Amino acid sequence: MVFLRRAEPPQSSSALAAASATQSSSGFLPGALVDRPRLSARDISVYYADVQAITNVSMDVAQHEILALIGPSGCGKTTLLRTFNRMNDSVRGCRVTGNVIFDGEPIYRKGVDPVALRARMGIVFQKPNPFPKSIYDNVAYGPRLHGLVDRQAELDEVVEASLQRTGLWNEVKDRLHKPALSLSGGQQQRLCIARTIAIAPEIILMDEPCSALDPIATARIESLMRELARNHSIIIVTHNMQQAARVSDRTAYFHEGHLIEIGTTDQIFTTPEQSLTEDYITGRYG
Amino acid sequence: MNNTIDPERLRQRLADARAERLQASLQRRHRKEAVFRGLGLGAVCLALGFLAVLLFTIFSQGMSAFRSSHVQLTLEFDAQRLGDAGSERERLEQYQTWLDEALLRALDAPESRASAVRPLLSAAAVYQVRDRLEDVAARPGGRATLWVLASDEVDLIQTGVVDRAWPEAARSLSDQHLAWIDRLSEAELLERRYNRAFFTGADSREPEVAGIWGAVVGSFLTLVVTLALAFPVGVATAVYLEEFAPRNRLTDLIELNINNLAAVPSIIFGLLGLAIFINTLGMPRSAPLVGGLVLTLITLPTIIIATRSALRAVPNSLRDAATGMGASRLQVTLHHVLPMAMPGILTGTIIGLAQALGETAPLLMIGMVAFIANVPSGFADPATVLPVQIFIWSDSPERAFIAKTSAAIMVLLGFLAVMNLAAVLLRRRFEHRLK
Amino acid sequence: MNTLQLTVLLAGLAVLFFWLGRWRARQLARVQGGFKHLHSRPDYYGLVAALWVGLPSLLVLVIWWMLEDRVIAQIVLAALPEAMAPASAAQQELVLTRLRLINSGALLVPDGVHWQQATEQFRVLTERSQYGRQALVLALAVIAGALSWWRIRPAQAARTQIERLLHGFILLCTSLAVLTTAVIVLSVLFESLTFFQAVSPWTFLFGTQWSPQMAIRVEQIGASGAFGAVPLFVGTLMVAGIALVVAIPVGLMSAIYLSEYARPGVRDVLKPLLEVLAGIPTVVYGFFAALTMGPLVRDLFAGIGFDGVSPQSALAVGLVMGVMIIPVISSLSDDVIRAVPLSLRDASEGLGATRGETIRHVVLPAALPGIMGGILLATSRAIGETMIVLMAAGLAAHLTLNPLEAVTTVTVQIATLLIGDQAFDSPKTLAAFALGLLLFVTTLVLNLIALIIVRRYREQYD
Repeated sequence: MVFLRRAEPPQSSSALAAASATQSSSGFLPGALVDRPRLSARDISVYYADVQAITNVSMDVAQHEILALIGPSGCGKTTLLRTFNRMNDSVRGCRVTGNVIFDGEPIYRKGVDPVALRARMGIVFQKPNPFPKSIYDNVAYGPRLHGLVDRQAELDEVVEASLQRTGLWNEVKDRLHKPALSLSGGQQQRLCIARTIAIAPEIILMDEPCSALDPIATARIESLMRELARNHSIIIVTHNMQQAARVSDRTAYFHEGHLIEIGTTDQIFTTPEQSLTEDYITGRYG
Repeated sequence: MNNTIDPERLRQRLADARAERLQASLQRRHRKEAVFRGLGLGAVCLALGFLAVLLFTIFSQGMSAFRSSHVQLTLEFDAQRLGDAGSERERLEQYQTWLDEALLRALDAPESRASAVRPLLSAAAVYQVRDRLEDVAARPGGRATLWVLASDEVDLIQTGVVDRAWPEAARSLSDQHLAWIDRLSEAELLERRYNRAFFTGADSREPEVAGIWGAVVGSFLTLVVTLALAFPVGVATAVYLEEFAPRNRLTDLIELNINNLAAVPSIIFGLLGLAIFINTLGMPRSAPLVGGLVLTLITLPTIIIATRSALRAVPNSLRDAATGMGASRLQVTLHHVLPMAMPGILTGTIIGLAQALGETAPLLMIGMVAFIANVPSGFADPATVLPVQIFIWSDSPERAFIAKTSAAIMVLLGFLAVMNLAAVLLRRRFEHRLK
Repeated sequence: MNTLQLTVLLAGLAVLFFWLGRWRARQLARVQGGFKHLHSRPDYYGLVAALWVGLPSLLVLVIWWMLEDRVIAQIVLAALPEAMAPASAAQQELVLTRLRLINSGALLVPDGVHWQQATEQFRVLTERSQYGRQALVLALAVIAGALSWWRIRPAQAARTQIERLLHGFILLCTSLAVLTTAVIVLSVLFESLTFFQAVSPWTFLFGTQWSPQMAIRVEQIGASGAFGAVPLFVGTLMVAGIALVVAIPVGLMSAIYLSEYARPGVRDVLKPLLEVLAGIPTVVYGFFAALTMGPLVRDLFAGIGFDGVSPQSALAVGLVMGVMIIPVISSLSDDVIRAVPLSLRDASEGLGATRGETIRHVVLPAALPGIMGGILLATSRAIGETMIVLMAAGLAAHLTLNPLEAVTTVTVQIATLLIGDQAFDSPKTLAAFALGLLLFVTTLVLNLIALIIVRRYREQYD
């Protein structure tokens, strides 16, 4: 449907202008702020060399909620997600302005250690990417790295608990020391989630975690996300609107690097305020 | 592992542990990180530092060889005596006498014997006089002033390689000689001048007249043979493997074989050259032809591998387009793919030739290590090549050859630098074209 | 007319027949009513005729040229009278060399009626051979060209013929690359077998005495030479081992720094500089090792109280060789490290690992097979390296494990046994081939393992 966007640039850009106008008048989009946020983006802009990927995004993430970031390809969802735990630091030519407040502390500031930050904010990627090590060593990687446990028995406990929470324990308990790459795609992705929660992060970032999986595996991960949301805040980037509608509490819609609309998932999917959002959700665009 | 894990309590415990320990361990981990990074930088610096030391050593030793000590002498000839001399040998002796007389005059030491002052001049000085002043000598009352080559011992004193402070027994020149050298210097009759012989001469037993031209020509002739054979054969092989060969075990084996040949020690190729080209086929020893054949075998894998990757970089759409126009497979390759890949192929060829130019060991095996005082003039003439000349000189007992060796290395490195630079420029053009 | 002139003449003939062939093809086409009646473009017909002129005659020329010298030599030698007949192969060669020099005018005819006869015969034969060769080659060129010209028909598939020839050429070239290996194996194997008839393989492989110099007088001690190669193996392994101890850490850490830490601008400068180390000819390293590093190591050890360190110590040689193979390890490691997918690095850094932890725990284990391949190739390089050891290591073989003593290596022995030696039948020269066989087999095994590992590794991440 790129064709449509090209065909009607005035409509698109005027809608974008309208959306921006809404934002600039109040400083924040309605529904962008929450009480006692875990994580807040304030006026975030991201540039890759000369290209601006994100423009002035401000929004909050609440305690123990699932926030879905949706929007057409190239709208900057993944970039924003990687901005939250400073994964873009290692991307050359990437520059971030504005700030992200995590637990009352700005993370884009001298003296903030991205290593410590990432230990509190896990990330799961689009393609399952287990290390070419054993299943056990994959899960034990984080706790070992940060020295979270003292004894082998403790480590065993952490591995077992993490695998149990992702529902993988019963499937792999007899072959913990087999290579992780021998697992199926869905199992690999759950292993990656187990690997992430083994360091007990406060926030879990998920970048289209189900896009490489079949429907059954997707369903398992979605129910796992609901389960995890009891203890963690989850931000998920997804292409799949049904998925956003099924799992998330709130939804944010992005378009060409701008945050267009944010609100409860019900509101976004039933009564979107912006025409761009409506077009996307109804499948007329994207 | 027991079954009574309470996930929630465990999670809390982990989170607490992390809050406690992370800060403490972070400092240590970052220090480790800095050390690791420092080790990496250190390794690079170590390698490059060695390179710098190597080049500095060679350049500082070699610079002095581009100049050599000359003595300015005024020769007074006597055409009559030259006419009396019958044979060439007698004529030379006559020239030598004139040279001795001129030197004794310059030293203002008429009471000394000619044999005492001769160590100051090169043994080649008399030839220099004969070749340059033949006309003057034949004229009645001929007289000419000429800078003639000093001996290598004088040059070593002048460059400070041999220390004047050494005891007399440790030097080949006596204290009397040193005094003479001083006298010549004061009279501005002794000077270090451009060393023409080094660039125009062939090898010699006398360091002051030994030159690299013979070896340069030898290297050139050898590389001509290598290029003439390795380029067509290498490109043809690569074209076959990349464009025509079916993908099967045999092709796989050929490929593995070629990659292996690229890593076979070069001295093995020397053994092959000795056993096959010289002993079985009866080709001449020390000849650029045989050297070129051996280097062809060494260079082939490099050219094949480079050509294959150049061919692979040519987009398939080009082949499809040409095939779609009704061109045969061979026509597609000859008219479209090869021209497109040519800069890449040439890059690989130049790199292969540079490698061949620096190759020494296999050429020792086929006799290019012989002492050859003539500049070769054909592919079957006995010849040596630049790196082998370096090897021969480095093995010579005369001190003066150290500087010669270093200077020859500088020339060799110069050639290699030019070739590699050409390769880099070509590659840049190739990549630009494919974009 | 010398060979060059003859070749130029042949080329001229080929061009002539190219024109003739093309002209005839055009004529035939015109008679039939246009080029569309030709199977191929007229150029191809010309090319076929030209190739018929050039190829067979060139082949004959080369064969004649290769045989000529020997045939003449045989005839002249056979005609020599009893008194002058050379006894040995070396003397035979001497007589022939003199004859050649006389013939080229570089030497005057020595006194004696036999010499004059032989010289005259040599001159006449050489002259006849030259005329015969020229006549045969030219005749062949013209006849073949004329025949192929005569046979040009519009239906003749000239292009297909040319393409088939080119295809044949390409195949020939490819087989040459394979043939090289076979010829290496055969030539080295053949001489080695002769050697093993004189010296048992057991003594060769496990003997600890190596003194290949044959005695001049029969009653001299060690007249038969000793061919136990163990001291050479130990020396080779020691030098290569020291080289690897230098090259592996430095090469690997350089690769890590360049691929993971250095900014692109810095990398673009440092990487080519590092590769300059690989481009420096080994004879230069050898010169440096012999003249600078050897004395330096000796003086350093003398400074801390170890006197009597050899200036040709294995340590000095190994250090320089190590520097030489740094680029082998670093560039191969760089390739494999960069081939480790970004997603793995992301995963590790996303869990809060530092860059170094990611490299040590994830990247290096994943790249290990490839790095091992690089190390094996470097080992093969170190074992087969000749010039550095030839110039800076010792010649005498004594069995020692002390890196401060002079040792000798397999390649040094091959080189010294063969340099300047003309005779080709003594165990001394044959021993060089036996060592060569061993060296070839060892490096072959190392290379093959390395290549297969590297290839598997590439497939894993492709």
